[in-house]
Amino acid sequence: MTAAARIIIDEIRGYHNFLKFMIGLVVLGALASAVRFVLGLGVTTNLNDVYPWGLWISFDVVTAVPLAAGAFTLGAIVHCFHIKKLEPLVRPAIVTGFLGYSLVSVGLLLDLGQPQRAWHTMVYWNVHSPMFEVSMCIMAYTTVLFLEFLSPVCEKFGYHVPLRVLRWLEMPLVIGAASISTLHQSSLGTFFLIAVDKLHALWYNPLLPLLFWMSAIFTGISIIILEATMVHRFMGQPDESELLEILTRILPWVLGAYLVVKLPATFLLSHGPLFDRPSLLALFLAEIIIGVIVPMFMFMKKACRVDQRMQLRGASLVIAGLVLNRFNVSMFGMEQPDQLIYYPSIIESLVTIGIIAAHVLFFVLLAKYFPIFEHHPETVDYSIPDHARKTAAGDGHTQAAGAGH
Amino acid sequence: MSSLPVNFDTTKSFLIDTTKCTGCRGCQVACKQWNQLKAEDTTFFSGEGYQNPPLMSEYTFTRVKFKDYQKDGQNEFAFYKEMCMHCNEPACASVCPVGAFVKTAEGPVIYDAGRCIGCRFCMIACPFGVPKYEWSKAFPLVRKCTGCYSRIKEGMQPACATACPTAISYGTRGDMIKEAEKRLKNRPERYHNAIYGKDEAGGTGILYLTQQPLDELGFKPVTKRSLPSYTWQALRLVPGIFLTVGGGLSLLSWFTHRKERLRREELFKNSKLPAETTNVETKEDSP
Ligand code: SF4
Ligand code: SF4
Ligand code: SF4
Repeated sequence: MTAAARIIIDEIRGYHNFLKFMIGLVVLGALASAVRFVLGLGVTTNLNDVYPWGLWISFDVVTAVPLAAGAFTLGAIVHCFHIKKLEPLVRPAIVTGFLGYSLVSVGLLLDLGQPQRAWHTMVYWNVHSPMFEVSMCIMAYTTVLFLEFLSPVCEKFGYHVPLRVLRWLEMPLVIGAASISTLHQSSLGTFFLIAVDKLHALWYNPLLPLLFWMSAIFTGISIIILEATMVHRFMGQPDESELLEILTRILPWVLGAYLVVKLPATFLLSHGPLFDRPSLLALFLAEIIIGVIVPMFMFMKKACRVDQRMQLRGASLVIAGLVLNRFNVSMFGMEQPDQLIYYPSIIESLVTIGIIAAHVLFFVLLAKYFPIFEHHPETVDYSIPDHARKTAAGDGHTQAAGAGH
Repeated sequence: MSSLPVNFDTTKSFLIDTTKCTGCRGCQVACKQWNQLKAEDTTFFSGEGYQNPPLMSEYTFTRVKFKDYQKDGQNEFAFYKEMCMHCNEPACASVCPVGAFVKTAEGPVIYDAGRCIGCRFCMIACPFGVPKYEWSKAFPLVRKCTGCYSRIKEGMQPACATACPTAISYGTRGDMIKEAEKRLKNRPERYHNAIYGKDEAGGTGILYLTQQPLDELGFKPVTKRSLPSYTWQALRLVPGIFLTVGGGLSLLSWFTHRKERLRREELFKNSKLPAETTNVETKEDSP
């Protein structure tokens, strides 16, 4: 026992200081959430009857879900649209997605008043509730991501039979992931359709769910660009900017389509005055210009698309715009003119920082111990196995197939 | 979701005639007593005006709002009793992921504390800001006016309606609307010509008559459409979207993978060594 502990402690000692810092933040966040359970929501958070939802819902759920959209977007691009070149980016994206969704669940559980009853959603169905739909989807999708994530784990330990099953399941999982994600990404927008007289007209319009879904797609793509660039810079992985260039070619189309839906929806379908509150108008313009228009024009130019630094900048702008948009919808736009301004308490902030740090930390650790980047796509058969038995002979992994015959 | 009564005319409703309210707050006290709610430690003028406590809360399901106004150079008061509106199609019930809120056939919208997971979506959804949270507890629940469901099931009237000396009438919604319309017709000079709650949020179980225009009194302007219909128009598309996206992507993949599959079948037929050939092919794509 002590020997094992010794090994683990030595292993941690060897980590880079940045990782140690992340571990510190995670521990702080865990302590803060313990305090939340001991002292209660009222004392530890700045939530009250006027602000029943705060940072934890706005960031840990409403913003974190689209930030974790990379896995399903890339899965669909690579496998359904069959741009197989991008294959090396898939695995890191799945790991990020899996971590992201697991941490969304953690954030949601911390925010619930009765987390021990979370299973009630599976028993007492209410199909009229967008929250019901989103929780079911998040559970289903986390399972899908977990299955996809099992591939590197099985490879690491050399489990061949489950690997074969997982490969056979790959296409169904990719398609399932895209459909489930479409549902819950958009349903997060449906949440706010009930806030008819609360959410400001700049954001309230019946197409909000569609806009949430489209913005999840361009955010997913941008997150992959950001992640691949970071991993190249700080984790010594190969430069993928040539592959990322393909993604930056897709981005302006999605951003443009988003604008084409968003602007008419805002001006024609909203009810209520649009320009009555200057601060909200400024937030709205910031979100559109910084997060959509500027990166769209950037990536329309070839010079920006091939330059690794510009790729990173453009993607960061998109992500910043998305974060602002989700906060606008779930927090700023919901504030009534005469209300006190909400700001998160120290405990709330520590928990959210802890969750972000946990994401970075677990990603680095997984990359350290599992074959996430050393994935060799040429050994994988991605075609739909319509003759499963016959094509099995054509697969790279013949050991397991041989065992079956 | 809930056992929605089809005909809301037969559900029980409050008719609150604010022109007859004397601001005695008997209803507030009766509600606290019947529901055994703790007293709140409050200070005067902590809210908008003379009303006390300043807001509804986990301890206060109903509260009389005081509104100062000027009439013919005189300072006057208007009062109105704030409580759950017991909407015909309640937003709180539609958004609750576990269906903890139910619109009963009798009229009250009731809450099942044993189901609630504490997500507080009901608080976001309610257009009148009614559900309140037990912020003082580590594992809090939602609290709100019960419509005195336990009393009306036994044929009694709600505690606050019984206590009220002047302003509250209680009966079926159809009767209460008729009564309100009669009053508006008989004494138009006494009333602002509107029944708050008749159409608000798709119709509510509490109907108000006032003397002043509604917004002056502090009534929230809310949509006339039932709130659940706003989310349902998006949510009802969910199964269709799921099938369309799933089916569309499957079809797309079938086509995009077609060439490769044909080639492999070809190879299989010619019983060459397919394993090596395919591997070589894909290797070219990979970086
Ligand atoms: S007033 Fe609010 S809490 Fe009461 S029934 Fe209507 S939506 Fe529900
Ligand atoms: S807080 Fe409770 S009652 Fe309200 S929506 Fe959530 S689960 Fe339902
Ligand atoms: S109906 Fe009952 S619970 Fe509601 S305000 Fe009146 S006394 Fe209170």
